[in-house]
Amino acid sequence: MSNMSSTRAGAQPAAWLQGIKDALPLLGAYIPIAISFGLIAIQSGFGVLETILISTIIYAGASQFLFVAMVAAGSPLWLVVIMTLLINARHVLYAPNLAVYLGNDKRWIPLMHGLTDQVFALSHSRMPAMAKDQRMAWYTSAALVAWFSWIGGTAIGAIAGEELTQRWPLINDVLPFALPALFLVLVLPRCNNRMWTAAIATAAVLALVVKLCGYPNVAIPLAAMAGAMVFYALKPARSAQASQSAQASS
Amino acid sequence: MNTDMNNDMSTEIWLTLISIAVGTYLLRLVPHVWMQYKLARHENSDVSASTPDWLTVMGPGMIAAMFGTSVVPMQLSTLSWMATAAGLLATLLVWRKTRSMGLPTLAGVLVFGLVKVVFA
Repeated sequence: MSNMSSTRAGAQPAAWLQGIKDALPLLGAYIPIAISFGLIAIQSGFGVLETILISTIIYAGASQFLFVAMVAAGSPLWLVVIMTLLINARHVLYAPNLAVYLGNDKRWIPLMHGLTDQVFALSHSRMPAMAKDQRMAWYTSAALVAWFSWIGGTAIGAIAGEELTQRWPLINDVLPFALPALFLVLVLPRCNNRMWTAAIATAAVLALVVKLCGYPNVAIPLAAMAGAMVFYALKPARSAQASQSAQASS
Repeated sequence: MNTDMNNDMSTEIWLTLISIAVGTYLLRLVPHVWMQYKLARHENSDVSASTPDWLTVMGPGMIAAMFGTSVVPMQLSTLSWMATAAGLLATLLVWRKTRSMGLPTLAGVLVFGLVKVVFA
C-alpha cells in the first residue's frame, strides 16, 4: 500500500514534466508566429501592453491577426466580433472530443482557456494512454507552456520584432515548420487501417487545397467533414466484413 | 499612428476585445460543460457510448485538416515546397524509428531549414 501511494505521489511530478516535454515542440511554432503577431499589431498602431493583452486573453492565432487587421482598417466593430468568433467556431468540437478523458472536476473550467488547436491535438493523442489522475497535471503544464510561449513571443515581437526579423530572417521562415511536423506526428499513429488512413489523407489534402485556393478559415472544418464522410463511406463495408468474420469464427 | 491608435483604443475597441476573448473562451468551455452534463446523465452506462459517434471521427479529422493547412509554406516557391517535402519525409522516417514526438519534429525542422539554407 505504501509502495502504491509513493508510486501515485511520484506520478504527479512525472505528469507535469511529461506535459512540459510534450509541449516543447510547440515552442518552435508558437514563438515565431507570436513574434509576427506582436510586430504586426505594433505596426497596425496597437501599444505594447495592448498587444500582449490581446494574446493573453483572446489566445487564438488566426482570429488575433484578423482582429488587428480589421480594427486597423476601421471595420465595424460588430463585424470584427462576428468574424473572429466564426474563425474560432471550430473550437466547439475540441472539448467534447476529450470529454471522456477529462472528468467532471471543476478545475477544468478555467483550464479550457488553454484549449487551442495544438493543445487539443496533443491532448487527443496523449490522454488516452494516460492514467486518469495524471491528465490534469499533464494538461495544465502543457497548456501553460503553450500559453506562456505565445504571450512571451508576442512580447518579443512587440518590443523587438522588427530588429529580430531583420537580423535573423530564418527564425520566421524555418521554425514555424515545427507545426506541420508536429501535426504529422500526431496523425500518423491513427493511420493504422485503410479506413482511417483514407479519412485522414482526404482531410489533409483537401485542407491543403482549400487553403491554397485562398480560404484558410473554412479549410479546417470543411476538410474535417470531408474526412468524416470518407470514413463513414468506407465503414459499412468493413463492419459487414467484420460481422461476417465473427459469424464465421463462431 | 501608434499614438492615434492609443487615443482611439476607445471603450468600444476594449469592449470588442473583451467580447472576442469571452466568446472564444465560451466556445471552448460550453461544449465541455455540456458533455460533462451528458456523461453524468449516463453515469451507469458505458462512457464511450454516450459520446456521439461522429465526434470521435471529427477529432482526428480536425487534426489532419490542421496538418493540411499548416503544410502550405509561407512563401509559395519551388524551394519552399521542396523543403516542406524533405522536412515531412525526415519527420516520418524519424517517427518510424522512435515513435516519439520531439525528435521527429526537431528532425523535420532541421531538414527543412537545411534545404532552405543550402538551396537558397
